[in-house]
Amino acid sequence: MKIDIREKIQREEASNIGFSVAMISWGMLFASLFLAYALYRFKETAWPPMGFEKVSLVWPTTSTIIIFLSSCTYYLYQKSYFMKQVKSTKFFYSVTVLFASLFLVSQKMLWATLHDSGLYTSSGIFASILHGFTWVHAGHVGIGILAILFVIPSVKTQNIGNEKFRIRMANVGKFWHFLGIVWFLMYLTMFVL
Amino acid sequence: MTYAHGKHAEPKTFLSKYIFSFDHKVIAKQFLWYGIFFLLIGGLMALMIRWTLAYPGEAFPVIGNWLFPETGGVIPPDTYSMLFTLHGTIMIFYAITPILIGAFGNYCIPLMIGARDMAFPTLNMLSFHLAALSGLILLSSLFFPLGGAAGGWTSYPTLSTLVGSPGIGQTLWCMAIFVLGASSTMGAVNYITTIISFRAPGMGYFDMPLTVWGLWLTAILNAIFIPVLGAGVMLLIFDRVFGTTFFLAGAAATSGTGDPILFQHVFWIFGHPEVYILILPAWGIVSDFLSFFARKPAFGAKATALAMTTISVLSTLVYGHHMFTTQMSPLLTQSFMTLTMTISIPSAILFANWLGTIYKGSIRFTSPMLFSLGVVFVFGLGGLTGLYLGTVSTDLYLHDTYFVVGHFHYTMAASVLLGGFAAIYFWFPKMFGRMMNETMAKVHFWGTMIGLNGVFFGMMVVGHAGMHRRLYNPFVYEFLQKLIPINTFITYSAFVMGFAQLPFLWNFFHSLVKGKVAESNPWEVGTLEWTLPSPPVNYNFEEIPVVQCGPHEFGNPNLPEGKDFQYQTEKLVEA
Ligand SMILES: [Cu+2]
Repeated sequence: MKIDIREKIQREEASNIGFSVAMISWGMLFASLFLAYALYRFKETAWPPMGFEKVSLVWPTTSTIIIFLSSCTYYLYQKSYFMKQVKSTKFFYSVTVLFASLFLVSQKMLWATLHDSGLYTSSGIFASILHGFTWVHAGHVGIGILAILFVIPSVKTQNIGNEKFRIRMANVGKFWHFLGIVWFLMYLTMFVL
Repeated sequence: MTYAHGKHAEPKTFLSKYIFSFDHKVIAKQFLWYGIFFLLIGGLMALMIRWTLAYPGEAFPVIGNWLFPETGGVIPPDTYSMLFTLHGTIMIFYAITPILIGAFGNYCIPLMIGARDMAFPTLNMLSFHLAALSGLILLSSLFFPLGGAAGGWTSYPTLSTLVGSPGIGQTLWCMAIFVLGASSTMGAVNYITTIISFRAPGMGYFDMPLTVWGLWLTAILNAIFIPVLGAGVMLLIFDRVFGTTFFLAGAAATSGTGDPILFQHVFWIFGHPEVYILILPAWGIVSDFLSFFARKPAFGAKATALAMTTISVLSTLVYGHHMFTTQMSPLLTQSFMTLTMTISIPSAILFANWLGTIYKGSIRFTSPMLFSLGVVFVFGLGGLTGLYLGTVSTDLYLHDTYFVVGHFHYTMAASVLLGGFAAIYFWFPKMFGRMMNETMAKVHFWGTMIGLNGVFFGMMVVGHAGMHRRLYNPFVYEFLQKLIPINTFITYSAFVMGFAQLPFLWNFFHSLVKGKVAESNPWEVGTLEWTLPSPPVNYNFEEIPVVQCGPHEFGNPNLPEGKDFQYQTEKLVEA
């Protein structure tokens, strides 16, 4: 397969554009959910609606910290990868996978506390939003973890520093940071405010 | 993974060549078969609906007894609801979308911009297989207890919640739409990227054929708005499967209940752009064909492209005109009305440019041209009747009547369908290397044209007379009984239109094997795909072409004797 310079540039550009478009699509999915939430919330005179109490912030805050840390470690993994630091590349990659999985555990705990406080999926719109939106996000985190596992060949010792993983790593990173930002917005609007 | 400019060895096995192909030309054909298959199913459903409206209580001819043995061949009321629901869903999402966007988007974009394939061939293949999966889910829903979805193609709650539609059919409908949405979004990512990154050297945006412009704008709208529908049907699935109450009002308590109207917002934020998602490729195709067969440069091609862009932008701001009767505040209804009316301006520019293109042209009445002129006519009617629905005062009367049905069939069904046929007749020689029969094509055109105007104009008349849509037997109401004859007329017209598709089917399949072998450029057109043999080889271009002029260089007086067009790869002839 003959690859000239023009083609290489085109490929890189295409990958960037394609991924950006995909992120816009995902962004619209979550934006629609936030729009729905805003309409539900402003229709109500009080939020949480009568008869419900605010959810404890313990697990949502834990989730926020975990996903923030995972974004940081992903960044450090990328950085040490290009500085060809074998040990720290492997370390930060593994920690990212660990944090990403811990995020799902913390979500599981959140759902358990919701149930404990009587907020079942069928307990009205407040519970519907808390459950529905966190499910959608958690589903995407699942996809995100698969995406992170998709760059696993980059942590093979002989591959570290190789340019050919650059685009893939960058795109997976964008997706993961995006999920972090979405979670942060959910944390702010659904749990804190 | 293969990329647009990488050349790979030709696939050898049946599976890699026809089923799991990365080649955009093969994927285009897959979508074409898929679309034609569903077009036939959706068309049959339409005839069953029409039969019920013309002859309520009478057995459907020929296959009625086989399909509905327990009622002696009469279409039962619950089945009738399923029929109009699935007719709409199938025609919009499973017939028109795959034919115009799936098939011709895939086929034309790389060939017309001088690329060897789509930017992401694997994604492209996945897109078709997801569409196939979605079609299977939808059809399978018919075989479950209580049958398929019956809440209308818009699936408004509470009709579409468990309260209105028990059974698994509606859930499967939601899942099918979600999967299809994922497929279309993947396609959109591919189209947008390919057009931005892989245009041949020398091809600026305004050197692209207008077909590519239409497909590009469609892809952009798809990428932005399909996820909105995705979010809506996902919440609907949650309501139906997990017992959430997003769209259920008054079920739980006096405060903190869901809101059925919210689904309408989400649906139409997607739904109005969807109208343009469907029509934009047809507009692009027609804008090109009118120039190709009038042997004249497209009048104001740049303005046409910009008008299409303006319409795409405006189409994102007008969705509220579908909801005038939901007790919106008058401030909102008036804003939506004003914005809707603004769309007339770019539409008029587009329309005037079409007329300007054919004015004083040396028109060749080939089948693609006839169908394109058909689009101009029916789209004019469809667009004009839209004004009454975009105006609050008249919409309050016309809302949910057959006037709406007639209007959107003129725009979405008639225009897009005729545009799709124009595209099939035009690119068939390139796709399959054989010509279709022109005489048969003309029979097909006139049959379709007469039939569809009888159907859709008739619908507007009965709608204006007050007949509501979606009624199983409207004639139980005394004031509608005088509309029985005209409903019978509409049904006759529908059968004319239905039978007019037989010459098309015969022509299509007969020409596949027995048609006259096509030359590389039978229509004498200068866009890049016609510089290639029919059908083009694997990976299209041996050498990536260099583009030197626009797509509509016809009738240049400086051209040598006997030639009235030039290829995009040739330098513009000057005196
Ligand atoms: Cu609309």
